[in-house]
Amino acid sequence: MIVDVKDVRKSFGDVEVLKGIDLSVEKGEVIVIIGASGSGKSTLLRTINNLETIDSGEIWVDGTAVHDPKAAHNVHRDVGMVFQQFNLFPHLTALKNVTLALRRVKRMSKDEAEKVAMEALAKVGLAEKAGNYPQQLSGGQQQRVAIARALAMAPKIMLFDEATSALDPELVGEVTKVMRDLAQEGMTMLVVTHEMGFARDTADRVLFVDSGVIVEQGAPEQIFTAPSNPRTQQFLHRVLEA
Amino acid sequence: MEVLAYFPDYLSGLWITTTASLLSFAAALVLGVITAVFRRSGIWPLKVIGAVYVEVIRNTPSLVQIFLIFFGLPSIGIHLPAFEAGVIALAINGGAYLAEIIRAGLTKVPSGQFEAARTLGLGRTDTFFHVVFPQAARYVYPPVINEFIQIILATSLLSTVALNELTGTALVVNSLTFQTLVAFAVALVLYLILTNVVSFAAAWLGRRMFHPPLQLRQERQHGKTLLKRLTIMAGGR
Repeated sequence: MIVDVKDVRKSFGDVEVLKGIDLSVEKGEVIVIIGASGSGKSTLLRTINNLETIDSGEIWVDGTAVHDPKAAHNVHRDVGMVFQQFNLFPHLTALKNVTLALRRVKRMSKDEAEKVAMEALAKVGLAEKAGNYPQQLSGGQQQRVAIARALAMAPKIMLFDEATSALDPELVGEVTKVMRDLAQEGMTMLVVTHEMGFARDTADRVLFVDSGVIVEQGAPEQIFTAPSNPRTQQFLHRVLEA
Repeated sequence: MEVLAYFPDYLSGLWITTTASLLSFAAALVLGVITAVFRRSGIWPLKVIGAVYVEVIRNTPSLVQIFLIFFGLPSIGIHLPAFEAGVIALAINGGAYLAEIIRAGLTKVPSGQFEAARTLGLGRTDTFFHVVFPQAARYVYPPVINEFIQIILATSLLSTVALNELTGTALVVNSLTFQTLVAFAVALVLYLILTNVVSFAAAWLGRRMFHPPLQLRQERQHGKTLLKRLTIMAGGR
């Protein structure tokens, strides 16, 4: 077990967004979290790498107690994250976006960092764009650079928070392809997405989250073809009919 | 023309204006960054110090601040020559305005940038210097340059503490020649040249320092109108 979430609760003001979440993730597992906007699925993802603190419960990531404020910062060594808005550093080239943390956090030499960064960029098919600034790249390319930036740090787990939601429809495929390749290689992944095709063909397990609880979970074929909970049925009906 | 005989004096006045401006601006920039960081820090005494400094300076006349330092400090035993007193006064004054400009610039850096830095494991210092500051610098560059111009113009106030910068020189030449119009017109044109050189240099630097190149549109228009003005003065269109 590489991620263990135990009875996690989280409120923003008066609104309780996570109402007792339990989740265990095995190494190499690809988990896709689906649910309506505001269901708490992004918040759940963000608690795992301490971008949101939790009110109660425990989160363990590969031996790190994320719920412990003293230890929480260590989680960033093991967990990479990809955001909906890419969050590339606009003042740095694709290459520098990737090398920055390699140099400042992993203390690599310039040559070493550039070698690792170029490998990561090659992996997402963007080695030839290393010298480009983010605004010179398409949305899909930017998101792939963001994936390379996270991968270069050699994380054990990758979190994807609606990584394709800000993209034009024709650019979604190039990003999901990189995510599929990553899953194939055995990366442990937690993916919040609205791409049901990706969930269906890549997930080992699909979680349906509604109003801050995991309503239903199971293999994709079970969730998509025979959801047992009426709320899951209703959600999938809305999403797949659209 | 009698005034033109004093042209070398004008040039040395221009030199004093230029060095006073540069020194004041450099010190103001450092003060501004420190104050902006103070005001954004979670440490309340630093926040209070920053807030009080900015409020006091921005709500009192620059001239009174200059008088306080030049005429006031000697009464507690601190005697400063006019140039030093003037530079210190303008630095303290400019620092308060720059602090607010820089604070606004830091606020404009999206929260996603901080989150990305955090998930990569970057510490607070690395995040500030490698992620936040370079982006804020881009946002604040135009207003910071504008403040530099304001500091150049404000150095004319130092003529009141008998510093022979450009305006001080014009006052002296005026009293010697009584050619008031020409005496001040020469100073005016020299100020105009100085500020335009700064504007053009800043625009040039902005195009090279930032990616993508930063276009100082306002400055460029400023440049164009000057060119137009000069063409008209020369009898052109």
